[in-house]
Amino acid sequence: MAEALEAIKALATGFATTFKHLFRKPITEEYPEFKRTLPERTRARIILTRDPDGGERCVACYLCSAVCPVSCISMQSAEKEDGRRYATWFRINFARCIYCGLCEEACPTSAIQLTAMFETCERDILTLVYEKEDLLVDHGGKDKEYNFYKYAGVVTQEGGKGEHIKEDKPVNVKSNLP
Amino acid sequence: MSKLIIDDREIEVSPGTKVIEAAAQLGIMIPRFCYHPALGSVGACRVCAVKFIQGPFKGVQMSCMIDAQDGMVVSTTDEDVADFRRHVIEWLMLHHPHDCPVCDEGGHCLLQDMTVSGGHGIRRYLGKKRTYTDQFLGPLLQHEMNRCIHCYRCSRFYQEYSGYRDLGAMQSANRTYFGRFTDGILESPFSGNLSDICPTGVYTDKPSRYFGRRWDYQRSPSLCINCSLGCHTVASIKYREVKRQEARFSEPVNGYFICDRGRYGFFYSSLESRPRMARINGKQCTFNQAQHAMIEKLEEIKKNSGSAAIAAVGSLRSSLETLVMLAQLCQTKRWRDPACFIDSSQVQNVKTAISRLEPQLRVSLRDIERADFILAVGADPINEAPMLALAMRQAQRNGATIVVIDPRPVSLPFPFLYLPAAPMALSAYLGSLIKAVVNRGTADKMGDGARKFYDRIPEGKKLAEAQPPLSSEMLQSLQQSRRPIIVCGTEILSETVLSLSADFALLLQAAEKQAGLFYLMPGANAFAGGILSGEKDSFLQIIEQIEDGSIRALISVEADPFWWFDDRPRLERALDKIDLLVVLDYLDSQAAQRANIFIPTATFYESGGMLINQEGRVQVAPRALLGGIPISQAGGGDHPPRLYDVGIAGFDPKAAWLTLADLANGAAQEDEKALQQHLWKQISDLIPQLATFSSIDEIPQEGIVCSCGVNIDSRFSINWSAASNIRHDSGDDFDLIEVDWTFGTEELSSLSPCLWKLERKPCLVMHSGRAEIIGLTDVDLVEISTETGSLEAELRTADNMAPGILVLPRHRKLAWQIFTPGKIRIRKDQIRKKQ
Repeated sequence: MAEALEAIKALATGFATTFKHLFRKPITEEYPEFKRTLPERTRARIILTRDPDGGERCVACYLCSAVCPVSCISMQSAEKEDGRRYATWFRINFARCIYCGLCEEACPTSAIQLTAMFETCERDILTLVYEKEDLLVDHGGKDKEYNFYKYAGVVTQEGGKGEHIKEDKPVNVKSNLP
Repeated sequence: MSKLIIDDREIEVSPGTKVIEAAAQLGIMIPRFCYHPALGSVGACRVCAVKFIQGPFKGVQMSCMIDAQDGMVVSTTDEDVADFRRHVIEWLMLHHPHDCPVCDEGGHCLLQDMTVSGGHGIRRYLGKKRTYTDQFLGPLLQHEMNRCIHCYRCSRFYQEYSGYRDLGAMQSANRTYFGRFTDGILESPFSGNLSDICPTGVYTDKPSRYFGRRWDYQRSPSLCINCSLGCHTVASIKYREVKRQEARFSEPVNGYFICDRGRYGFFYSSLESRPRMARINGKQCTFNQAQHAMIEKLEEIKKNSGSAAIAAVGSLRSSLETLVMLAQLCQTKRWRDPACFIDSSQVQNVKTAISRLEPQLRVSLRDIERADFILAVGADPINEAPMLALAMRQAQRNGATIVVIDPRPVSLPFPFLYLPAAPMALSAYLGSLIKAVVNRGTADKMGDGARKFYDRIPEGKKLAEAQPPLSSEMLQSLQQSRRPIIVCGTEILSETVLSLSADFALLLQAAEKQAGLFYLMPGANAFAGGILSGEKDSFLQIIEQIEDGSIRALISVEADPFWWFDDRPRLERALDKIDLLVVLDYLDSQAAQRANIFIPTATFYESGGMLINQEGRVQVAPRALLGGIPISQAGGGDHPPRLYDVGIAGFDPKAAWLTLADLANGAAQEDEKALQQHLWKQISDLIPQLATFSSIDEIPQEGIVCSCGVNIDSRFSINWSAASNIRHDSGDDFDLIEVDWTFGTEELSSLSPCLWKLERKPCLVMHSGRAEIIGLTDVDLVEISTETGSLEAELRTADNMAPGILVLPRHRKLAWQIFTPGKIRIRKDQIRKKQ
């Protein structure tokens, strides 16, 4: 008899809890109707950013493609007329990318960055191959300040020899004065 | 021998070995920047510090400066030295710019490696960095002086090792600068080596600038086919094209370096104009269609005119496989024997050289560096085989006397004694040298033949007339030498001089000297061509037989007669006359454009194969890439097309010998392995030294020196009466000699755009005295007319050359093919000044 009472009590508590929740505000976020803002460090779709002066940051140094564990990045580097090194083409195969973020970590110029944009489902797998024009954005991403060519010491429009940050004037090789 | 202990391991090394080398023999790589085995030690960078625990030295010392000695106990891992090295690298990095991402050296940079392995990770110096202005150094090297760590490797290589003066150190102390006095193209044809030896990115390779990182390149050992020396290279391939070539160390051949012609002579392999599709009468078709058409047409000609109406031309840039296959094909099909050389004198010269390269006489480039007397006869090292000049420079640095007897104005990057002699007078010079250095008793030791030969050397008057006379300095240093070497070109000499040089070397050996003999040859695989050719098989003979109607079809295998045949109008008439011209090639040559049937072949990089260099060294290069149209062309400069496809576009061309095998068997052959084994059998029958190996893969890297074709009976057999018959220079006419230049005359390297800027302007060279007599001056524009055409070029005069000679470079910009093959004589009224 006592056992039967026990069972009824348990059943009633269960129903009571359910009944109580009927009048609560739901905590489930309906996706895609509701889209939560993800943290800045979320690792999803990759972008190529620009420096504060609007120049392409990527110098196509091949470090991201070297570090990529699934070899989904390929590119071709070349030189612009003003001496900047850039990528003539830059391709990421998102069908293969595992969003590990090693490319971002390897990038010496803060060019390649992972963003929170993760909605990249496609029916045709070839549309997941992104070219440079799909990747290049017109902002600096997470790093707004850095401009590699202001420090590098190579001659570009950003400055000649001795005109970069923390550089002395070029040595005069034809004088022996100290 | 000295016995020492390095890192608890004992090693015995020969006296004079530096500790850094002794460690290297144990497999311990002591960090180094300034030390290089070829350049020696200077102790400038301080990074090779080791700790001497016992022995004559104590404490932290530079391992590149100290000879290994008995009883030394050395530690390379001691805490003191590790700390020392870390500090040294930190100092070197003080002014190093923050530009690794845009530096082409990144990925194979010694400074990068040392910085990481030395443990200097975080910059402590926050002050201003020193900067330098860069220079324009020509089309081959990019200069970025900010990166310099002052190891002096570049100036030591450039000035001491290679003998050129226009690049070196300037300024002092912390501001030392390496470069030229003013901007300009580097003069040395070895300047490309600077990008190999610079431990950081001061000199980087310009033609492959920014193309890829070391880790992205497929790097494959290869061989240079731009001259007959067969230097070892590493081909770097990315996105289906050869993009860079570096020197590969080889003890007997090129050492650590290669010349710029070899380094940058690879661009032909991925030119956009390179034909990748077969053609029938100029129309593109599939590979199989062309092959069927070729087999059918040849059958037809055989039926109509007999199999002797079919002739084949081989090429000196083909692999041994292709040449052997071609010879075999001609034999089984009863065609005419293939011709690889222009005329009979060229065949005979090469065959003579091969027959005289006795095992005890022939020497390698490395032996040349060790010589103490070098006599170069009819050879222009810097133009014909640049690496030979570099080897001679090393001999000269070690105190050797270099004598050059040549009609051309020869220039070399080191002091040498020069005798301008007409080709006809060369045998007289050699005769008098023999008389001066070897006595009759010594000649007697070599047997009857040698004594008779010695006695027949014309004495007195005739030789005295050879002008200018031999100096006593030359004779004295030859007499005193212990390791004399005779270097002999095969291009402009008669076969008598080639024989005589070999006889001279034999006599020098009889005089108890370690004499050596070194021939240059007219192409990368000229040795193989020489073995496979008969005495008379020449292209000129084929032309003659086309003219008399006995040859109706011509198959040209990787050969372009338009490039090297002396008489273009005659060649064109002959090719118009035949029924069928089949061309197999990887270049879009003029012959290929004229061909009735054209079949593309694979380059040496794509097929791999064997080459025999001028010393008789059989060397092997593996296949470096599969082939196909490079990504840069397939994508039109942009990204490659997004396509799923089977196979590679432009993958049709296969090795020429495979196409020839198909032709021999009458149908496409499936089993490449079996063909290869069959061919290997043929090759090892031809070259007995290879018989001990069961396949091509077993041939060691430094190659196998073969002595097939050596004929001891041809010793001391020259005809003196013909050889000493010096034609008196009447002053009325000129002997024209066609010569090679470092850049612009060799077929493959002249297709490299980056070398075009280094080419000298094509010009005729004449003795200044003679030019004055006929009223010409330096830089006049002159016209030479012959029965077949005329040639316009600038005239340069020179004092240091034989007077009765006119020198003509076979320059790509000069339509020089207007002469009758053979000895060419130009009367002075054929030379006219153009206004």
